[in-house]
Amino acid sequence: MNPLDKPWAQLALALLTVLILPLFLKSGILATEILIFAMVVAACNLLLGYTGLLSFGQGIFFGIGTYAAGICLTRWSVPVPLVLAGAAVLGAATATLVGWLSIRRQGVYFVMLTLAFSQLFYFIAYTFSGLTGGDNGLLGVPRPSIGGTALDAPWSYYTYVAVCFVAVFALLVMVTQSTFGRTLLAIRENEGRAAAIGFPTRLFKIEAFAISGAVTAFGGALHAMLIGVAPLSNIEYHTSELILIMTIIGGSSSLFGSVLGAGFYLLLADALSTVWPRWLLLLGLVLVTVALFLQRGLWGLVERGYDLAFRRERAPETPAEEH
Amino acid sequence: MIYLFQVLNGIGLGMLYFLLAVGLSVIFGLLQFVNFAHGAFYLLGAYLTYDLTTRGFGFWAAMPLATLIVAGIAALIEALLLHRIYKLPHTFHILVTVGLALVVQELIIIAWGPLGGSVPAPEGLQGVVILGDFIYPQYRLFTIGFTAVLAGLLWWLLEGTRLGAIVRGGSESPANMALLGYNTLRINTAVFGFGAGLAGLAGALAAPIRGVEPFMGIEALSVAFVVVVIGGMGSYTGALVAGLLVGVVQSVMTTLWPEGARLMIYVGMALVIALMPRGLLGRA
Repeated sequence: MNPLDKPWAQLALALLTVLILPLFLKSGILATEILIFAMVVAACNLLLGYTGLLSFGQGIFFGIGTYAAGICLTRWSVPVPLVLAGAAVLGAATATLVGWLSIRRQGVYFVMLTLAFSQLFYFIAYTFSGLTGGDNGLLGVPRPSIGGTALDAPWSYYTYVAVCFVAVFALLVMVTQSTFGRTLLAIRENEGRAAAIGFPTRLFKIEAFAISGAVTAFGGALHAMLIGVAPLSNIEYHTSELILIMTIIGGSSSLFGSVLGAGFYLLLADALSTVWPRWLLLLGLVLVTVALFLQRGLWGLVERGYDLAFRRERAPETPAEEH
Repeated sequence: MIYLFQVLNGIGLGMLYFLLAVGLSVIFGLLQFVNFAHGAFYLLGAYLTYDLTTRGFGFWAAMPLATLIVAGIAALIEALLLHRIYKLPHTFHILVTVGLALVVQELIIIAWGPLGGSVPAPEGLQGVVILGDFIYPQYRLFTIGFTAVLAGLLWWLLEGTRLGAIVRGGSESPANMALLGYNTLRINTAVFGFGAGLAGLAGALAAPIRGVEPFMGIEALSVAFVVVVIGGMGSYTGALVAGLLVGVVQSVMTTLWPEGARLMIYVGMALVIALMPRGLLGRA
């Protein structure tokens, strides 16, 4: 195993990211967005990399969190910590339902079901516009405040999100290192065998979904407070696609790969979208390239770089993981 | 009377969904490959029809031309790119075809703008049919008849001909087909082009009904997924039954609850999966 894959190294890299982003980025909003998506993408990776479930429905939970924050903060001014906790619980509940239904089918059917569910929730949000604001979304979502001062400056909200990010990332590392996480890996490797040993594999998958949904909704709530709006686009198919793309580009074999994936995508989007509105064309080509030449994603690149720099004997190439 | 009208609409819509789902199914059956670019081929078929008709081609020339161009482009993509990734895990099939769909969508916005447009009903079918006090657009009636004939042809092609046997043989065991002397690489290319061509044709037929806009592809893709999940992948009858069901539910709901019509497709799917996890026809 590459030393960088060890849990402490992963956590150290996450901390390093939090400290480094303010040095390199001018925009506190962009830096905050990277951290929010980093945790959301890591939650997607818990399903893809650690359980072998390719979920095209992560936007559902992100959108649920966004609306939870939007509704609670604009209508009732519920305290922010309570909103975040509520968003996580709601996300977990939704994910349990979606997971329970989706894992009734396996392989490609599972993927197709998660995509169809993302459409289902999009149309719910679109149809019940009295609650969600429909196309306009919910405007005027306030930032949290600490000790009476609102965190309106981008970098002070960054600090708030950074604390959340480190806590969530540590939690996810702990989950993957636990017996529960090991069992998920066993299910990914060979579900039949895991079931034969006596693990209730369906229950484990649903639990993985619940954790992933909780974290994703938590991130969605933070995102609504960042941009001050709870937009319909957060629950769209496009958001699900985005989260999945970041996960695969980052590499699904390590949680920190997800941070890289989120950072890579958002920095690329920031650099290109102002220059060329049709930059998604390039993104499409990047995806094809990753599938052909970089199957372990950016994290695979990091591992290879580490091996070249610090190890005389190169570790044998690990083949791309089967899902 | 309004229900008869909506049921007819639903059958027309459902037949287009059927075409989409069969294309997806045929590709998956032979290549074990989920084509997330399927909606993009539908989108391309619609836009090519739009473009050709604005250039002065009649619809009757534009529809088959658009279908053939989509099939040709898809076959080219298969031969150049996709056959390299069949052996990779599903994740990468999805990644590549999602990437392709993005490329197609963005190219379409570059070529024709983000706003979309409308395609007039073809000459000779612009009027309505009047039966007593029942009035129905001729073009919609034509799509029902035309797709029904196509469905019959497809059934014959897949179940009754040597070509269909080759395709089914290839999906059972590509190695055996190669041993029998068939060029499986060429068959794969042809079948991918054929399946994508069906999506393109569905797009071409849909264009005069719903117009064109750059984001119609993803809607088509997810509806095709719903049809395939309910009806079973690789099942001709399943695609037909589920396609019609989804189309009719959507249309009838347009009368009962207009804002929620499309929502009901997915609610229906969730109900089917909750009650019958294996889909309507019970195939794996």
